[in-house]
Amino acid sequence: MNNFLQAIDTLTIKFTLAAVLLPLLAFLINLVIPGKHNKITGWVSTLAILFSCVLSATIFSKVWNTGHLVHQQFAWFTVGETQAYVGVLLNNLSVLMLLLVNLIALPVHIYSMAYMKDDAGYNRYFSFLSFFCFSMLALVVVDNLVLFYIAWELVGFSSYLLIGFWFSRHKAVQANKKAFIMNRIGDIGLLTAILIIYATFHTFDINILFGDHSIIKAITVYNRGEWYSPLTGSFTIPGVSYHLDDIWQFVAFIGIFLAVAAKSAQFPLHTWLPDAMEGPTSVSALIHAATMVAAGVFLLGRVYPMFNGIELNILAIVGCFTAFMAATVALTQNDLKRILAYSTISQLGYMVMAMGIGAYSSSLFHLVTHAFFKCLLFLVAGIVIHQMAHIRDDNKLDIDPQNIQNMGGLRKKMPLTFIAALIGGLALIGLPFTSGYLSKDGILIQAFQWSQGKGWLFMLIPAFAILTTWLTAFYVIRLITKVFFGDLKLRERFPNIKLHIGDGGWRYAVPLLFLAAGSLFPVFSFNPFSYEHSWLYHGMFQTGATAGEGLFHVIVPVGVNIFSVLVIYAAYRIYAKQKTNPFSQTSMLYRLSANEWYFDEIYKKYIVVPVLAMGRATFRLDRRVIDGFIHSVAYAGMALAKAAMWTDRYIIDGFLNLIVAVVQSIGNFARRFQGGKVQYYIYSMLVVILVIFILTTLI
Amino acid sequence: MISLTDFLVVSAVLFCVGLYMIVSKQNAIQVLIGIELMLNGAILNMVAFSKYDRINNGGQMFALFAIVLAAATTAVALAIILNVYKQYKTIDPGSINKLGD
Repeated sequence: MNNFLQAIDTLTIKFTLAAVLLPLLAFLINLVIPGKHNKITGWVSTLAILFSCVLSATIFSKVWNTGHLVHQQFAWFTVGETQAYVGVLLNNLSVLMLLLVNLIALPVHIYSMAYMKDDAGYNRYFSFLSFFCFSMLALVVVDNLVLFYIAWELVGFSSYLLIGFWFSRHKAVQANKKAFIMNRIGDIGLLTAILIIYATFHTFDINILFGDHSIIKAITVYNRGEWYSPLTGSFTIPGVSYHLDDIWQFVAFIGIFLAVAAKSAQFPLHTWLPDAMEGPTSVSALIHAATMVAAGVFLLGRVYPMFNGIELNILAIVGCFTAFMAATVALTQNDLKRILAYSTISQLGYMVMAMGIGAYSSSLFHLVTHAFFKCLLFLVAGIVIHQMAHIRDDNKLDIDPQNIQNMGGLRKKMPLTFIAALIGGLALIGLPFTSGYLSKDGILIQAFQWSQGKGWLFMLIPAFAILTTWLTAFYVIRLITKVFFGDLKLRERFPNIKLHIGDGGWRYAVPLLFLAAGSLFPVFSFNPFSYEHSWLYHGMFQTGATAGEGLFHVIVPVGVNIFSVLVIYAAYRIYAKQKTNPFSQTSMLYRLSANEWYFDEIYKKYIVVPVLAMGRATFRLDRRVIDGFIHSVAYAGMALAKAAMWTDRYIIDGFLNLIVAVVQSIGNFARRFQGGKVQYYIYSMLVVILVIFILTTLI
Repeated sequence: MISLTDFLVVSAVLFCVGLYMIVSKQNAIQVLIGIELMLNGAILNMVAFSKYDRINNGGQMFALFAIVLAAATTAVALAIILNVYKQYKTIDPGSINKLGD
């Protein structure tokens, strides 16, 4: 029996490796395919993701809810006494993410083949897309923190490449730089956290650290807050104790939190995500709505056992604030993709908040459902933007194809897109019969349970969560009404334009239908009103008490949804009249929302400008003081060298030259007597004798 | 009465004229003549001083020897001059400077 299981495990591991490496293979093949616009690249990437999808579905069926953990690793390298491994860890969470990423990536690939078909960088696009899929799949299956960090960086890097895909646009370049820098802040945090964890526990293994019988669980169960190991837990060695000060534990938490905030666009590092919409819309759908931004929440899920009560509260507060703030911003934006980006931030805020209040399974449930309906909404947005760009190009207008103020009445021209948008929108609001209802309901109910008996201050979290739900309803209906209802606003300004637009071919329709189906309740639960009947909810480990659930279970969803319907009706009535601006543009709240809470301005004023100033100051310091010092040393050396040269030339050489001159003059004088003239010899001899004689006479 | 001093003056004049000729003349024959003059100056000295040796007449004997030797040297010198002329096509001692450095 054991051998049998082992054989199945080996097969599963092989399947996993294939599923992860297929997109990498596609990336490598696409790199060598010649040309810039070769249709083969699209098929290579899509087929790779298709096979990967089939494989991950197989893996999913083998691992999900079997209670059996597939974990295999090989020695990689040794540092000091620590052996680092490279391995694969498959539990419920990773197989779920594996399947989810593939299920989202597949329709996006199909869609991209149509969406990008006229783009000059077609090859590059699919190379990058495959590379992203590889990084993301690797991120969810790796079994240790080193590999996790590598995959985390690769995901950030491929996101950078894709945001700046149209690198000739200035805004895209700015946006991808911004995203990259913000993500670096998170990466530093993650690295710090990994180092602290390693320094304490001397292992990188996620299963040993955070798994079912892990060190941290044993410790935290025993004594929350103080990380002192009892001698239980199957991975603790008797007699060995791990000790970590509270302060370092908190630093590790802050590191993880920064990583989550950067990747999942939480306050205070959320401002890159709206700008990231400069990338192609299909990329936004895959990366910046469904998968990569969920990596932060996934990280929280992986390291969940290490947080203590205070830290979970911080997560809840930040998540709730982000959800609320982003929802208010989404109310007034006019850029179609920006609205969706803020709604993504808002929903990610829900997930982080759910993690904070202990609704672990609901958080991941919401992650999955959100991936489907948000991807769907982005694909819809892509089609709409494409068609608006068509209108612009056909009639040679100067309009922004993403501005919803120009749209309207597209329902008649694009019925399929409209229905998809409606399903996605309703799922985003969380109305019954959609998947969004199930997951959001779970989060809200558990938020109320969590706040019970904790004082009125804690009541603010569920209160704001519910307020956010209503705000969501409002901006979603505003979006849908402005885009799909009424008449095309462009006709007011340009009465003579011709429209040749429609839903597009099967490459648009199939992904929309697939994702729309994934946004409905039967996929997740046969009971459309109870998240607890969802198979997904049961698959994740359960936390939190269930007392009093019955009451909340009725009141919360009913109350929330009745009011949501009212909000929807109100929003529809307001925007169906097709006035450009039904609300005052000058009120303080409006300006706060339209300017995105001034976060960019504040960051620019208080962080970017001082950092630049500091950079300039250090540059000046470097130039003036350090370079000046080095230059003065150089000048001193040169002056010394010149003095030495002078001494050498005039004193030492001079002395030698003097000797030479003396010797030479003596020689020249003497050689005159040796001229070869015999008579001269005699004459000189005579002179010498005479001189001697005269001298002797004188003396 | 001719005194010893007169002889010595004549011999000194002869010597000096010979010396001058040796140093200044451009012709090897004239130089040779200069040598002969100096030799004769010296011989005259010896003859003059032989008045103090009336018994043996050593000075006069020595003078005779010297005259004979001078004849021999002159013969040799002339032969040398002839050979020099054959070699250099000149007998100017100034031009024959192969001894120089």
